[in-house]
Amino acid sequence: MLHQFRTAEGDVEVTVAKQGDVWQLGQHQATVEDDGRLSIRLANGTKGYATTAKVGDVWWVHFQGHTFCLERIEPGASQSGDEGGLVAPMPGKVLEVLVDVGQSVEGGQTLMVLEAMKMEHRILASNAGQITGIHFSAGEQVQQGSVLLEMVEDEA
Amino acid sequence: MVSKVLVANRGEIACRILRACREAGLASVAIFAENDSKSLFVELADQAVQLQGDSITSTYLNQEQILKIAATTGCDAVHPGFGFLSERADFARAVTQAGIQWIGPSPSAIERMGDKMTARKTMRDAGVPVIPGEEIEQEDEHEALLAIEQASTRVGYPLLLKASSGGGGKGMRAVERPEDLLAAAQSARREALAAFGDGRVYLERMLTGSKHVEIQILADRHGRTIHLGERECSVQRRHQKVFEEAPCATMTEEIRSAMGKAAVAAAMAVHYEGAGTVEFLLAPTGEFFFLEMNTRIQVEHPVTELVTGVDIVREQLRIAAGESMSCGDLNLRGHAIEVRLYAEDASNNFLPAIGPLAVFQPPEGPGIRLDTGVRQGDEVTPNYDPMLAKLIVWAPSRIEALQRMRRALDEFVVLGTTTNLRFLRELCDVPDVIEGSTDTTMIDRLWPNGWSASIPVELEDGALMAAAVSESSGLHRQVHSNAQVSDQSGPVSPFMTLSRRYP
Repeated sequence: MLHQFRTAEGDVEVTVAKQGDVWQLGQHQATVEDDGRLSIRLANGTKGYATTAKVGDVWWVHFQGHTFCLERIEPGASQSGDEGGLVAPMPGKVLEVLVDVGQSVEGGQTLMVLEAMKMEHRILASNAGQITGIHFSAGEQVQQGSVLLEMVEDEA
Repeated sequence: MVSKVLVANRGEIACRILRACREAGLASVAIFAENDSKSLFVELADQAVQLQGDSITSTYLNQEQILKIAATTGCDAVHPGFGFLSERADFARAVTQAGIQWIGPSPSAIERMGDKMTARKTMRDAGVPVIPGEEIEQEDEHEALLAIEQASTRVGYPLLLKASSGGGGKGMRAVERPEDLLAAAQSARREALAAFGDGRVYLERMLTGSKHVEIQILADRHGRTIHLGERECSVQRRHQKVFEEAPCATMTEEIRSAMGKAAVAAAMAVHYEGAGTVEFLLAPTGEFFFLEMNTRIQVEHPVTELVTGVDIVREQLRIAAGESMSCGDLNLRGHAIEVRLYAEDASNNFLPAIGPLAVFQPPEGPGIRLDTGVRQGDEVTPNYDPMLAKLIVWAPSRIEALQRMRRALDEFVVLGTTTNLRFLRELCDVPDVIEGSTDTTMIDRLWPNGWSASIPVELEDGALMAAAVSESSGLHRQVHSNAQVSDQSGPVSPFMTLSRRYP
């Protein structure tokens, strides 16, 4: 069966096939245990159990002391690109807005200050550019993923 | 006499204290905000009362409301834990004036130590060396900023701005260059004001290459003030400790004894009662400087408990009841290490993370202790501190303790929320950690551009296969978060509802 996952390094296609009780991915093998864990044997001989859980579209996998976060892409789903906005990394409150619409900013410049979990977080411009939109003002609550500001980056 | 304890805290430390009360045969009362109604600590109390209000200020920091609950539930003692109201002298005073035993030092001791600037002066007077720096008394924003600017030229760079009412890295800023001072001071004052209701900050020279070493002390009303040896907590990120151990790997008998004496002198200077911690910076030369005294139980107290055999929280309860402390002479045994499991993205500047604890499987086996306030199915929210648990190991030697910590961290499974588990695991392989030559700037020095996990490619293959096989086999272990009720339609088998198999 073919599955597509989004990882930090990009999208990956994975095709697993089942023979008897054993799943195969190339030379790697896996079987599903009664408790829902997976018994895995890699081509290089590494053996171990993987614990998995699905939250939303994301498969969380624990294997050999590492935790992986793999977002499953539904076949045929449209690729949602980056909107070019600066988003809130977590829910919180806007403490300060340090720029105006139309203002030119430099890479690394602080654009907004958020407070979340009782700590201050700075929203920085990753590159030089111009602010084209500000969606929140000081004192407002923001949700995780809210687009805070929009900017057009200067041509390199 | 102490017979019924109100625990004015939440989460992990509330669990720790409520369990100690249960063991001591004392009745207990938990207080909780609405968003904590399903939290573990609420279950561990004999009685639990909901706080009205929807902010921290109107709930866990609401002295009036907490006192009222203490009175109506008939509590004769209040344990404040750490954070929240634990170092608020006005609260300790209000509790005492209501005829209720405060489990901690006197309000005046909290005042003299809790206000970091007053503490520096008290320690200087008691002959304990303090870090070169300057206190800033001005309360007015403009005057304070001016005074900070003037003091900075005398203190020199790099320097640290610290909140006078501070702790836990809040209201603290490292300043490397004069041109960054003003913005840092404004931001530190603002954060301090929001967190502690007091915007005053002071300056300290940044002593790089030093170890953070602290001494646990205990004092009772029968004239005994003792120390329980040191903890080393040098490994910090954003001025918050992540890896703590006892004893300190490079400690000598001479320094321990001198530091212990200074800590006991510090405690006696303020007529201390109960458990407290005197923090020092230990320079490579063996010189040490007073940092601050924490007039409460500390997050990392378990490492001391494991190497001394003293139950510090139980001793707090004893001392508050007017009894003598039960521990004998200091007798250190083996080595203990604690790591703090945070819901945070270590590869993205340690930014706090939220999400469900779809799987939460702590390690087990010899020499392992887990202090936590969460369990599988809980939701990690942005409402409170992102610390999920403290994993503590004990072993006969430091090398074995590190080996045990590696094993324990490899076994620890947390899925659904990003945690710093892998970061902690890789810390155990850092040569400085293995050699015990850690200092407070180690994390920034080792990973100046941020940390990221090194993942062997074949493990990534294994993970992708695991996800693909899980999806193909319909192993959608859909999470039933304690916070939300999931929709079920049609006739429901209880076995399915629990998503669990019974053999």
